[in-house]
Amino acid sequence: MILKTNNLCKQYQHKDVPVDALNHVSFDVNEGDFVTITGASGSGKTTLLLSLAGLIQASSGEIRIMDFDVVQASDRKLSDFRRKHIGFVMQSFALIPYLTAIENVMLPLAISKGKKEQKYQKALALLKLVDLENRKNHLPSELSAGQQQRVAIARALVNSPTLILADEPTGNLDPSLSTDILNLLKKINKEEKITILMVTHSPLAAEYGNRKINLHNGCIN
Amino acid sequence: MNIRKLVWLEFKQHKSQLISGLLAITLGIAVIVGIRSISVVSEKAVAVNLDNLGANILVLPQASNVDNYYAADIDAPTMPEEYVDRIVSSNLEGVDNLSPKLTRRIKVGTENVVLTGIMPKNEITSKPMWQQSGLLGNDLKASCAPTNAVNQSNGYEDEKLKRKVIDSLGADEYLLGSTIARKLKLADGGSVVILGEKFKVSRVLNETGTVDDDRIFIHLRKAQELLKIPNQVSAIEIMGCCNAISDGLLSKLRNVLPDTRITTIGQIVATQIQTNKMMNKVSLIFLIIIIFVGGISIGNFMWANINERRKEIGMLRMIGFNKATIYRMILAKAFVLGIIGGLIGYILGTAAGVWLGPELAGLPVQPIPSLILISLCISIVVSLLGSILPAYLAGRIDPFKNMQEV
Ligand SMILES: Nc1ncnc2c1ncn2[C@@H]1O[C@H](COP(=O)(O)OP(=O)(O)O)[C@@H](O)[C@H]1O
Ligand SMILES: [Mg+2]
Repeated sequence: MILKTNNLCKQYQHKDVPVDALNHVSFDVNEGDFVTITGASGSGKTTLLLSLAGLIQASSGEIRIMDFDVVQASDRKLSDFRRKHIGFVMQSFALIPYLTAIENVMLPLAISKGKKEQKYQKALALLKLVDLENRKNHLPSELSAGQQQRVAIARALVNSPTLILADEPTGNLDPSLSTDILNLLKKINKEEKITILMVTHSPLAAEYGNRKINLHNGCIN
Repeated sequence: MNIRKLVWLEFKQHKSQLISGLLAITLGIAVIVGIRSISVVSEKAVAVNLDNLGANILVLPQASNVDNYYAADIDAPTMPEEYVDRIVSSNLEGVDNLSPKLTRRIKVGTENVVLTGIMPKNEITSKPMWQQSGLLGNDLKASCAPTNAVNQSNGYEDEKLKRKVIDSLGADEYLLGSTIARKLKLADGGSVVILGEKFKVSRVLNETGTVDDDRIFIHLRKAQELLKIPNQVSAIEIMGCCNAISDGLLSKLRNVLPDTRITTIGQIVATQIQTNKMMNKVSLIFLIIIIFVGGISIGNFMWANINERRKEIGMLRMIGFNKATIYRMILAKAFVLGIIGGLIGYILGTAAGVWLGPELAGLPVQPIPSLILISLCISIVVSLLGSILPAYLAGRIDPFKNMQEV
């Protein structure tokens, strides 16, 4: 078991009115799984993903990833853990606009030790994997949406994570590009043996996983 | 890719906004550096004056301005040269040497120079009246000046004393200040045309760091003739002995020459010291102001920058940057800002000092390299101080609170 949540709750405070975004969510993910999380807009999918990575503080409940206690960890430990073990792929790509493709891919390595050349070669290899080697010096604004998302995937892979958290990675892409990205994720899951949790509201995309979780008003159906 | 490079790339990204953030601190540093560069030379000049000239007395026409000892005779009104004889014949105790001068600004070629007519010592002392008065052969007594050794170790030598005791000067000879010699590209033995007459360089004087470096000295008679101001002088310098001055030499001189202004270098230096003190106070006030205004404006700039980069900070947190690293990045940026503000401030201030110094203090101002370090320190410290609060707040903003989608 690579990930385990137990009675996870998240309550937002919206103008003093509490909003229950996650309601006693409990589930397990096994190593090598490709889990798809579906649910209507506002059902708490993003909240779940960000809570799992400790980017938002859960109100109560437990989260363990590879026996690491996400809820209790200090900022420093949690950040280190994220950097070493979790890769993110977001709907809006989350690339730094003033960094080139290869610089964006190298970014998570910026705080780790190692030779410049080594970091560069690693990033280059990943750009090759996502078929963007010839665009390495382009800024995000000089790349198409599909290309930007592939850069983001390369970045998610640069620290050889155990887990990839993807929040609607195809949400901003047209169908044929979506298929490319989904196939790429599938390939990464199969070949690199990286566990993936992917949020999507597209039923088609949900078919790429080997397990489905459906959220409804912050509860697992 | 490392943190430093990341900070730098971001920095370059927003460099157009820098001006607003850095304006206050840069100007503040510039003012401090400008004031300091001027007051340093001014202080040095004061020290030189005190050391070398001891109890020098300056006799000026009533209407003249005495703000600056060295420049007091420039374009001053004139008085009859006969005053020299009056001083001598009154046989006052403690008058060691006399030096009548006539000074005007003129142009030599395209250069502005200060032309000063002086009476060489051999001519003064050869006057019969002077011999009677016992001045003959009296070498200048710098006994009341602080030690000569001090002057020499300061590198000043006794150039200014020499100026007062120029032993002889031919009618077609002239002495040249070091700056003006450089400007006119003249060396010992060279010749130049002054007011239509050809002169030969007798000697280029050593650099003194005063207006004298811009002067050309010729014979008093020649100056009177060429400037068409016969029998007039603009100042009489008297080398007096300190003791005699405290014994009332000044008031005795005032009795002899009632319609003149008589002052000692001490009095003039005292005003200069006053001015310097005031300048230093102004610097201090400015320092306090820039710490506040500069710090606040940098802090404000940083906060705006951080807010604009909320999303970016969220992305960095997402890929594993911890809060401490974010703080470090912000402070590193503040450091770079500080360096830039300090450097530009130093350059502006130095330029202003060099440019305005001669106007304000009548002194040539040199850049002071050691002020770079001080400028950088002040600017960096202010920038860091101003950025601590924004950095702290940046660590506290929760990029995911109001933004589900990074
Ligand atoms: N910062 C917030 N403050 C208050 N309510 C929020 C905040 N973020 C999300 N919510 C609410 O939490 C619920 C779940 O949101 P979200 O996780 O973004 O859903 P999804 O990603 O499935 O669309 C929604 O009802 C949303 O309005
Ligand atoms: Mg969402």
